[in-house]
Amino acid sequence: MSGPIHIPLHERKRLREKKLTKHHVANILTHWFNVAGWALLLPTGLAILTSPRLAPDWWVIGMRNLFGGLASLIEFHYSVGLIWMAVLTFNILVGFRKYFVPFSRERMLLSRDDIEWLKLKPLQMMGLAKGRPLPPQDAYNAGQKLYMYLVIVGSLFIGLSGMVMTFHQAFPVWMKQWAMVVHFVSVGLVVAGLIIHVYMGAVFPEEREAFFSMFSGKVSAW
Amino acid sequence: MSPMAEKKRYAFVIDVARCIDCRACLVACRAENQVPIPHTRIWVKDLGVQGEFPRLERTFVPYNCMHCDEPPCVDACPTGATYKDPETGLVLIDQEACIGCGLCVEACPYDARYIDPQRGVADKCTACAHRLERGEQPACVATCLGGSRLFGDLNDPESEVSIALREAESVQRLVGDQVDPEPNIYYINADVLQAGLLPRPPRSPAAAEIWRKVAVPAVLTGIGLSFAAQAGAFAKQLIEGEEEFEE
Repeated sequence: MSGPIHIPLHERKRLREKKLTKHHVANILTHWFNVAGWALLLPTGLAILTSPRLAPDWWVIGMRNLFGGLASLIEFHYSVGLIWMAVLTFNILVGFRKYFVPFSRERMLLSRDDIEWLKLKPLQMMGLAKGRPLPPQDAYNAGQKLYMYLVIVGSLFIGLSGMVMTFHQAFPVWMKQWAMVVHFVSVGLVVAGLIIHVYMGAVFPEEREAFFSMFSGKVSAW
Repeated sequence: MSPMAEKKRYAFVIDVARCIDCRACLVACRAENQVPIPHTRIWVKDLGVQGEFPRLERTFVPYNCMHCDEPPCVDACPTGATYKDPETGLVLIDQEACIGCGLCVEACPYDARYIDPQRGVADKCTACAHRLERGEQPACVATCLGGSRLFGDLNDPESEVSIALREAESVQRLVGDQVDPEPNIYYINADVLQAGLLPRPPRSPAAAEIWRKVAVPAVLTGIGLSFAAQAGAFAKQLIEGEEEFEE
């Protein structure tokens, strides 16, 4: 791509007033449903796991006492997990042609610019290649797209491994052992990205609009 | 029982010389706990014929979960579904929480556990905890014809097991040089420290090893780096301030 395009200040201010629709209502609702699911599943999951243990004692004991014991806590965790899976699957199937296919085609595929962005951005984050302009990005930048892939694949693995543990009567022992590892690693990787996602979405100044767009669906043109 | 001893320290004492291998205990256990064939929660181990004719002897060793004080199965369980009951010292399984991952089965140095394929959970001797609550002895003890199996509270000096231990000619526990999870079955009046009965080192399947040694450090590093990155960016944002438009 060519170098950066200069847009005068008054034009940028005019574009700031102009609102574009970035998210459909269906996507906004699905996003916040997903947030609610994670908000319930992550804290309870941390309290279920004791070997290896990641959460402090007070958290593990507190959650178990709150739910009336380990068995009830696990039952709550997999019940919410099954609802989480069912709703996300339902939303994808119902909105498959209207939202999912266009979304996948227009916003998720990595373009040549995206590949270039992925090469350049890490260098710039390390303070190198500052003079080279970043290629233009679409509704989502290439980093967001990669994270989206991680979330989609991660959610699939989390759901499938969770099913193996929930319906443990039906699965062989070795599969349950690997399911625990897959569940743990998938959640871990998504959470590692989630920290950046929440920061960029809610705190980072250049992305401030992204936070409100997750309620209104709108972003300004600049 | 002494009213002073609030916390119990339940243990089995087995008078090996009195076991005749009738296996009534196995039948009683299976009936009491609905243990599915071909599995069992308890065994009578046969050390075989020993000595020189005509002085031959054969030793039978009743055997089940040792309800260890340092149980490797409890350490291995990812959720605490297997736990040591602080009130009684018994090692128990919350089978509503257990998913039958089998890490405890691999960890047990005495191979005293199995996975119930119907329910998909781990199972083993509970010392008939449900009978103890009613003031009854475990089924295997109640049914033992020769009086070989004894069970009770070691914190109570007047209990049957405490008295038996005091009066025993010899007392042994099944521990090895490398493996001593502090088992709570005391074998009296015979030498049971023989090959085939000694505990093996706890095992850990490949999935659990990768989980603990690779996945946990990798995930924690990833989360740490991610947190550090956003913390750095946030600090920069606070220090440098925010500008809406730069000209």
